[in-house]
Amino acid sequence: MANVKFYCDSERCIECNGCVTACKNENDIPWGINRRRVVTIKDGEPGERSLSVACMHCSDAPCAAVCPVDCFYTTDNGIVLHNKDTCIGCGYCSYACPFGAPQFPESGAFASKGKMDKCTFCAGGPEETGSAEEYKKYGANRLAEGKLPLCAEMCATKALLAGDANIVSDIYRKRVIKRSMSNLASNVGIQKSLLGSSPDLTGKVTK
Amino acid sequence: MNAMKWSSKNISFFNVKLSLFAYVLITLFALLSFSSTFAAEEKLGNINNTVNQQLGIKSPATDLWRAVRQRKFDGSEGLSSTTQANSLGANELINVKGQEWRNFRMGQLVPYAAYLLVGVLLALVLFRLIRGKIKIKAGRSGKKILRFSPFQRFVHWSVAILFVVLGITGTLLTFGKSGLIPIIGSSAFGTIAGFGKLLHDYLGPVFGIMLLIMLFTFIKGNFANLTDMKWFLKGGGMFGNHASAGRYNGGEKAWFWLAILAGAVIVVSGVILDFPYFNQTRDDLQLSHLVHAVAGIALLAASFGHIFMGTVAMEGAYEAMKTGYCDENWAKEHHDLWYADLQKQGTTASSDADT
Amino acid sequence: MKLTKTSNKVIDSSLIDKKGSVQKAAGEALSRRQFLRNSTLMAGGAALATTLSPGMMKKAEAVGEAKGSIKRVKTICTHCSVGCGVIAEVENGVWTGQEPALDHPFNKGAHCAKGAAIREHGHGERRLKHPTKLVNGKWKKVSWDQAINEIGDKLLSIRKESGPDSVYWLGSAKHNNEQAYLFRKMAAMWGTNNVDHQARICHSTTVAGVANTWGYGAMTNSYNDIHNSKSILLIGSNPAEAHPVALLHIMKAKEENNAPIIVIDPRFTRTAAHADHFLQIRPGTDVPIIWGMLWHIFKNGWEDKSFIKQRVYGMEEVRQEVAKWDPAEVERVTGVPEQKVKGAAKAMAQNRPGTFIWCMGGTQHTIGNNNTRAYCTFQLALGNMGVAGGGANIFRGHDNVQGATDLGVLANTLPGYYGLKPGSWKHWAGVWDLDYEWVKGQFDTGSYEKKGDKDVHVMNTKGIPVSRWIDGVLEDKKNMGQKDNLRAMIFWGHAPNSQTRGAEMKKAMEKLDMMVIVDPYPTVSAVMSDRKDGVYLLPAATQLETYGSVTASNRSFQWRDKVIEPLFESLPDHTIMYKLAKKLGIADQMFKHIEVKNEEPVIEDVLREINHGMWTIGYTGQSPERLKKQQENWGDFDFTSLKAEGGACDGEFYGLPWPCWGTPEMKHPGTPNLYDGSTSVAAGGLTFRARFGVERNGTNLLAEGFYSAGSEIKDGYPEFKADLLKKLGWWDDLTADEKKAAEGKNWKTDLSGGIQRVAIKHGCAPFGNAKARVNVWTFPDPIPIHREPLYTSRRDLVAKYPTYEDRKSFWRLPTRYGSIQAKDYSKDFPIILTSGRLVEYEGGGDETRSNPWLAELQQDMFVEIHPRDANNAGIRDGNDVWVETPEGSKIKVKAMVTRRVDSGVAFAPFHFGGHFQGKDLRNKYPEGSDPVILGEAVNTAMTYGYDSVTQMQETKCSLCKITKA
Repeated sequence: MANVKFYCDSERCIECNGCVTACKNENDIPWGINRRRVVTIKDGEPGERSLSVACMHCSDAPCAAVCPVDCFYTTDNGIVLHNKDTCIGCGYCSYACPFGAPQFPESGAFASKGKMDKCTFCAGGPEETGSAEEYKKYGANRLAEGKLPLCAEMCATKALLAGDANIVSDIYRKRVIKRSMSNLASNVGIQKSLLGSSPDLTGKVTK
Repeated sequence: MNAMKWSSKNISFFNVKLSLFAYVLITLFALLSFSSTFAAEEKLGNINNTVNQQLGIKSPATDLWRAVRQRKFDGSEGLSSTTQANSLGANELINVKGQEWRNFRMGQLVPYAAYLLVGVLLALVLFRLIRGKIKIKAGRSGKKILRFSPFQRFVHWSVAILFVVLGITGTLLTFGKSGLIPIIGSSAFGTIAGFGKLLHDYLGPVFGIMLLIMLFTFIKGNFANLTDMKWFLKGGGMFGNHASAGRYNGGEKAWFWLAILAGAVIVVSGVILDFPYFNQTRDDLQLSHLVHAVAGIALLAASFGHIFMGTVAMEGAYEAMKTGYCDENWAKEHHDLWYADLQKQGTTASSDADT
Repeated sequence: MKLTKTSNKVIDSSLIDKKGSVQKAAGEALSRRQFLRNSTLMAGGAALATTLSPGMMKKAEAVGEAKGSIKRVKTICTHCSVGCGVIAEVENGVWTGQEPALDHPFNKGAHCAKGAAIREHGHGERRLKHPTKLVNGKWKKVSWDQAINEIGDKLLSIRKESGPDSVYWLGSAKHNNEQAYLFRKMAAMWGTNNVDHQARICHSTTVAGVANTWGYGAMTNSYNDIHNSKSILLIGSNPAEAHPVALLHIMKAKEENNAPIIVIDPRFTRTAAHADHFLQIRPGTDVPIIWGMLWHIFKNGWEDKSFIKQRVYGMEEVRQEVAKWDPAEVERVTGVPEQKVKGAAKAMAQNRPGTFIWCMGGTQHTIGNNNTRAYCTFQLALGNMGVAGGGANIFRGHDNVQGATDLGVLANTLPGYYGLKPGSWKHWAGVWDLDYEWVKGQFDTGSYEKKGDKDVHVMNTKGIPVSRWIDGVLEDKKNMGQKDNLRAMIFWGHAPNSQTRGAEMKKAMEKLDMMVIVDPYPTVSAVMSDRKDGVYLLPAATQLETYGSVTASNRSFQWRDKVIEPLFESLPDHTIMYKLAKKLGIADQMFKHIEVKNEEPVIEDVLREINHGMWTIGYTGQSPERLKKQQENWGDFDFTSLKAEGGACDGEFYGLPWPCWGTPEMKHPGTPNLYDGSTSVAAGGLTFRARFGVERNGTNLLAEGFYSAGSEIKDGYPEFKADLLKKLGWWDDLTADEKKAAEGKNWKTDLSGGIQRVAIKHGCAPFGNAKARVNVWTFPDPIPIHREPLYTSRRDLVAKYPTYEDRKSFWRLPTRYGSIQAKDYSKDFPIILTSGRLVEYEGGGDETRSNPWLAELQQDMFVEIHPRDANNAGIRDGNDVWVETPEGSKIKVKAMVTRRVDSGVAFAPFHFGGHFQGKDLRNKYPEGSDPVILGEAVNTAMTYGYDSVTQMQETKCSLCKITKA
């Protein structure tokens, strides 16, 4: 079965946080847990760009590598999931994860963090598919219903792509080509009319 | 607008402390100095951008990731990042230290720690086989001298038991993955490890308190002096020639200070991990974990020596801590100066020890 | 498992696992309960039932019942004017899931943070739960009957003592069309024009400026039509935050047409971050920057000369005004250097058609009407009007602010912009089937103002605008244009924190005899004043708990189905209106032709009555049946043209965008782009409206040589009247019945629709074919000119660009201009204060700040300050600061040090409320109804200033000083 991936098109992401609330909505995520978040680079300055980040479902997942109890597993689709019954809440995965994906419901005394929670690519968890138990522990299992993660489906500008890695990269590639083509086709591009203003200002890397 | 990260600049206090302990640690345990050049190779979630590269068309999002990855996020290089998620460190797009931490833990800490512990054990077994049990040369006198008061023994055993529990639960987390999970499976191990973590997290602070009490209880007589130097030069009398010693010999003193100092490092780093609500950043926790693990493993290795000497290696040593009394001849042989002192003070076999 | 790409995917409901989803609801309820209380996620355990709120219990029970099937309900997001489709999954009356409407023609499943979080409405934890009354400073639960009785008695006694004009009916852009219409009708039945809503303080200057330029005061094209744009200019508009899904369309044009995006704003917004060209102007200098761009266009001959000749009146006078704005003067006033202004002008000139987008950054000024007309002029000069890809794309704010405006919840007009003239009232009395004299008799007798020498009846006098209700309470009676002060306020879906002069508003609230707040949330109105009694809170249902039509910004109607039953004791607005009308004794007249079932007026009947009367703007073809059919088939409409190809709605445009001429039976497809002559009127084409006469000072005001496709009159023509039909020989095209109804009437007043039908049959626009006018001779500044704000930091410009003289009676109230500007505040208050939107919140924010999914993302009210200003004041990022304005109000907020704003400018969002001048008012909310996040309202500190035509409030430039708290 094909591998699935997320990809965020920074040229389109406008930091509207729709993906964040879509995730909260679909999985009933409580206050303080951010399975998905939007990070903005150079906020308020020319070149400002945003990226929506969650678990990237890495092929060589650092979280799984460091987990002392081996609670992670990778599905046939390449989705990295974990078993909350096994998880001991040690936090090692959050040290190792490059993207800050693992979340912990508590931060109390004696390192009581609760069971780790993270993006499941809307693919539930090890409990019986579609069961109440699965929803309670891991959130929705949209994949089993033939749907993709809600964050990507609801993205305001379709910046966040999710699905079969080949299709995602295909969509993105076509988009990038389309941008370049439309730029080439346009003889009177804005760049020429800028009359010397800083190219930084445009932030248009495709041009 | 965005996400005001009101409290994200809180690194200083813990960092300073941590680095300080890290230095102390490194000097103390040069023997454990693994090559600490962390592999800088980064295997971030494989973002598929090859197609774009083939076509020679720039992929802005991939470029952005690359730019972010290559630069550090301390603001000093002008690449700031923000988010409206409110957890600490959420504004960090790529946790660059994560990979270093992973490489250190999985590639160095776990294997080298295993080598060290197993190595020390083997060495002790070898020593025991070669040297044999260190007997009381003059035989038992039958006369008992009070060596440790009940309070001293209580403190010692409290620390010792806590140390053993923490050591076991700690090593469980470190080695369980490679040692136990293949045998019992991750589910069963998860239950054990979960219970172990609970014990570790709650007993840790108790250990810290007991360690402090131990410091005051045993500090008298544990200051180093010239005798200890001679004792060390003579190899502790291990090789036949007699090495004088006071109430505690050089080896015991070294162990004491090692336990205190390394213990302090372990306690401080542990407390940082144990009470993560003082805005410790992920980097703080990573560093604490590193320090905690290295110091813990080192102390554990050293403790093998102590336990060995105190039990199977030497006749008459264990009973002193078990009952509080040691044999007069044992005292003469191993702590001749202390014994002389006792004689001078007129305190003899049945009298109270110096508590 | 089936994996498809993100878009183009239609969800098949049969895929949904019934059993799983039923249990999912239980899971949700469980974690909802834990939510915020102990914030443990997966601790499990079902022993938390005792913490259930009443609403939750209702839901929990529903879940526990039989496992019903999942009902998929189509509705429309209730936040902004984009009108995104929402698919709600409901089981046993519980809203358990939300799916993207991937086939919806506006949003293709896309949502911003608000739309993606709309299911939280089904939880409603922080809602106002039952009718509540303030007794001795304590909130007391009362019954609906008691509340309505007490409120009604008080209103009637005020009416007796001070006349009907002493009660203010403040309506809402959150009403659906039918409720908005009923609200306006209720005010009319009560006998007052003191009725208004948020449109006054959001786009009133747009409506006035644009309608007076070319006929209709609305967005001319659509969000989707931006796909056709070759260039995009945004001024005072930040859709990345205010209308995020609009960016879906803008990005498409940017990527596929290589359309340059030009953003003109005082602030480097998130939209500007994606722009090609950013012009950072000083707040309040919109006219200079537009004239500065036109200066280059005229100088280089880039204007569309034939378009101007055929379709524009008054461009020569504009030319003279523009000539004054040479690059040096533009830079002196706006701060933008010549090369940037020229670059933007050239980009717009060379990439046609280009669209022009504006929002409240342009409208909320003392010269807001000048700004909006300058924008129109710019588009007319480039010939960008009446073409796909061009147009004045005015993004409206609330989901139904367009509809509520159209339906006349305004102090200056009846529904459909008929105005308040006797003829207008007669038209509507006819539609209502009421005796005109009875309606007139409901009003106060006498007269407040004169026209020439003649007294104008109260009924025909504009009411007090919502922006000035506080003055209606506080102003000395003898200075006012009505009998008595306002004594009772009815806040029906209104956030007071969206209005300026908060400190005075508090006084006004305390002076009132009674305040009635009808809202799903208590709103800041409930806590702002120190009143001890005389406050009623009536829980209204949201639009997700009722049904009806809503008009998106692009004039498209959409039908909302009811997702869930009203939560707690709340009732839909129209039910509450019926209860109140009954109590006030006007229900029989008001609901004469509207069926009322169980005290709930039937929405379809209301819409039919609207269809029957709203001929001016073509609200006549959108029958409930047509709208419901479109809703069922929304997937059939094209993403760019909005036209259905095939299917049940073949040939129609999505939402039957008004004007949808004639009767529903005429099957007009709606008008997707206004004034577009390339198609026939019957197919959605149009000309500029002949609204301002046929000639002026000898100049022809009708179009010259331009006509819409298929027009039998090959030139300009006036609006259609019975007489004109006869003159043209088209009278006999009317049926006998139509003739009877049309005799002596015109296209606006012919209730049969015959005149419209016949005009369109001959290819003509019922409202005529004229030129747009860039000289609005009826306005204070016929040609838009620049005037400095009342509180300006540029004293050196005041002499050259002074504001207006004070006015004695303007919309019944004295209004100050020059007397404020005369004083120099810039020394003590050196920083310009401006305000705007955040993506997570909407309007006054009571609803969105009560939604934890959104509230978590914006937890602190803040003010953006440039690093230079921050350093000068010793302020660091995250510090608490006081922002103080010249009228003496101050707010305590967090400082956000950022280069988004220029040095000398500070920005604050306006959605916060619940703190007042440093004081936290949380404990004043009725228990359990306090929003999750509270904060200072920037409008507490915002100062005086009102537009010279519409009384729009000035929120975009005031002065302030910022000090560390």
